[in-house]
Amino acid sequence: MYVIGNTALYLGILISIYSLFANILGIRKKNNRWLESARGGVLSLVLLSSAASFLLLYILGTSQFQYKYVAAYTSENLPMVYKLTAFWAGNAGSLLLWLLLLCLYAGFLVFSKEKKNPMMPYASSILLLNILFFFLVILMSANPFEMSETIPSDGKGLNPMLQHPGMILHPVTLYLGYVGLAVPFAFAIAALMLKRVDAEWIKLTRRWTLVAWLFLTLGNIIGGWWAYLELGWGGYWAWDPVENASFLPWLTVSAFLHSVMIQERKGMLKTWNISLVILSYVLTLFGTFLVRSGILTSVHAFGNGNLGTYFLIFMAFMALLSIYVVMTRYQLIRKETNPIESYFSKESSFLLNNLILVAGAFAVFWGSMYPLISEVITGTKVNVGPPYFNKVMAPIMLGLIVLMAICPLIAWQKATVEKFLKNLIWPLTAGIVTAIVLIAVGVKGIFPIIGLASAVFMFATHIKEFVSGIKARMKATKENAAKASLRLLLKNQRRYGGYIVHIGIAVIAIGVISSTAYPKDVLQTVETGESFKIGQYELTFKGLTEHTENGNGIVAATLDVNHKGERVGEIKPEKIFYETWPEPSSEVAIKTNLTEDLYVVLSSWEDRDKVTLQAKVNPFVSWIWTGGMIMVIGTGISLIGGRTSRAYKLKPGTLKAGV
Amino acid sequence: MSKNKKILTGLILGAAALMIMMFSSMPSAGSKEITISDIVDNRDQYKGDYIMTQGLLNKDSVQWDADKIELEFSIYDENDVTLPVFHKGIKPDNFSDDVIVIVEGFVNEEGVFEAEKVQTKCPSKYEGEDMENYDVETHQELLND
Repeated sequence: MYVIGNTALYLGILISIYSLFANILGIRKKNNRWLESARGGVLSLVLLSSAASFLLLYILGTSQFQYKYVAAYTSENLPMVYKLTAFWAGNAGSLLLWLLLLCLYAGFLVFSKEKKNPMMPYASSILLLNILFFFLVILMSANPFEMSETIPSDGKGLNPMLQHPGMILHPVTLYLGYVGLAVPFAFAIAALMLKRVDAEWIKLTRRWTLVAWLFLTLGNIIGGWWAYLELGWGGYWAWDPVENASFLPWLTVSAFLHSVMIQERKGMLKTWNISLVILSYVLTLFGTFLVRSGILTSVHAFGNGNLGTYFLIFMAFMALLSIYVVMTRYQLIRKETNPIESYFSKESSFLLNNLILVAGAFAVFWGSMYPLISEVITGTKVNVGPPYFNKVMAPIMLGLIVLMAICPLIAWQKATVEKFLKNLIWPLTAGIVTAIVLIAVGVKGIFPIIGLASAVFMFATHIKEFVSGIKARMKATKENAAKASLRLLLKNQRRYGGYIVHIGIAVIAIGVISSTAYPKDVLQTVETGESFKIGQYELTFKGLTEHTENGNGIVAATLDVNHKGERVGEIKPEKIFYETWPEPSSEVAIKTNLTEDLYVVLSSWEDRDKVTLQAKVNPFVSWIWTGGMIMVIGTGISLIGGRTSRAYKLKPGTLKAGV
Repeated sequence: MSKNKKILTGLILGAAALMIMMFSSMPSAGSKEITISDIVDNRDQYKGDYIMTQGLLNKDSVQWDADKIELEFSIYDENDVTLPVFHKGIKPDNFSDDVIVIVEGFVNEEGVFEAEKVQTKCPSKYEGEDMENYDVETHQELLND
């Protein structure tokens, strides 16, 4: 077993080097047989990485504790699903997962129908460089097949906090996103090397980028959901460096997804797009570097000094390579880039959206790196926490929401102001009415009210776009409303899929703004029979119970819940004592309804009749998860359809608007 | 000047405004990261500063008052300098022997650290290693990073 695993890894290094050279020779000599051979190489890398992964799954599933990795992350009585998902619980396994995904993506690419595309050998070489790097890193510093000299009788078990459905999904989705970004990056560099500065690489990789973005979105939202349910501090986002690391590429890819539309249609912003895709890719490596190196004080300690250094070196190498390629092709790109024609047009509004997104990314980056920067400059490490991020990101996000409310109403090229204003009336009224209603019902705080009103404004704009699209179609085709809406959606998947994503963001914004601005928090020590109030809830402590489940001891506090004077059931916040873990972990009790979550944590107890509880009422948190789902559906819709080339082939100006 | 340039200039000005905003909000929002020895030695210097520090928990020092919801404990660094901490709030999870505790707050007149935030960081948090195998030295190396 040990031999198979390690052989696979060593062979991987050899074959990736070979394929790299085969590609280079094939390109140099214009020899198809070398290229064919490189393709074969990629295929065998797919097989090798799959073999290594299956092997790891096998030794995890069968609890072979002679392997250090298996012993470190699993134990005999761990449920099977967590034994297997311990695959990505640690450094070594998660790097193998990354490698596997990278190989699979490369395999899909080189055997796709574009395999004869002249860009392919270049793109494949870039991916091979990545693959080679991961093989090397795994062998040098994080080998999942490392054995220990003595076989422990049982493993140390999986951290209880990771025993949660969220942690099955979160790492995989995030990696799918991270790895996916290597593909558009590879094609961007390939296109530049070949001096092809048209939008072909963008069209070829549109789906890849969108899929990567979809997974980044999912990864972040699932991560937040897990933190909310599992960590017990009542929030879903803490601006921790590690969270920021996964948020950064999301921001830059969001910018990229918008700006490429301009290049596709108008041949503008070429340098910008290339820079964005390079930046996004480098940020994925940077994020990994942050997580693995432990250079920043974060509660997400992964701590392995070597790994961080390797990532830093590789990141620097890739960044320099990209900069070199861009610099040497810069004049060419410039010559073929069209200038922007009008201030008041969709193009300019997209550019503005891009700048805000990139500024947001910079603000997050700055805040995350500030401890290091301040240490270098002043000698004292100054950490910036949520107050900084909230203060800086709130106006940026507000700007984005307002922009999303306005932009869909602006036409391509020269938009007329009258038409724009006419379109603006209803959505804007909806926003203003929201603000008035909120003030009337006694909601406090000017900024949250502005934020909520803007989110409704943005929501209304998109509804209006749907309604007017459907109406126009009904008029033109005499279809009924249901048929017309379905057809409209199917005929313009990219545009309306994008709008659905925006609607999802509006829903999330409402959740984030209300839960950040209006949370209620009570810390209370109660004795049996005693009650306390939080918001419109009254909680009565009924006593502490103990039982065992799957070999784990569980201590639960039972609480009767009254909402507005009516009994709505009981909740049981728990502490679970895992057999394999020295410390108990909290199991939060949550009662969700449409507008708020009652969130109770059992903090500690003195005896059976006296416990300390932390209770929170978090308004509209469930909207964040719902909004995330809407975003996924919207992205799905624009993924399935939307032949990229259609809009491009039409002469510029014949289309009014679209995504 | 072409339209492109004009648009760009406008946007750069906007970006500059944003930067200024970011820089100005920085000091008030930040916490200085200082070692325990430094806090104890130069207490006066850090008066009124929002500080973040970390150290190993002295388990015997933990005093928890459930009725008032007050937590008192002390942490020490690699020079064995001890810092008493007071926290009006609950005990965090993993609050056990030799765990690294990260605290944020102010030092008061008596030299007690009044923590607004108490978090625990265990090097094994996501790494699954057995806590009992950790000797203090390993932790101290981690502290020195």
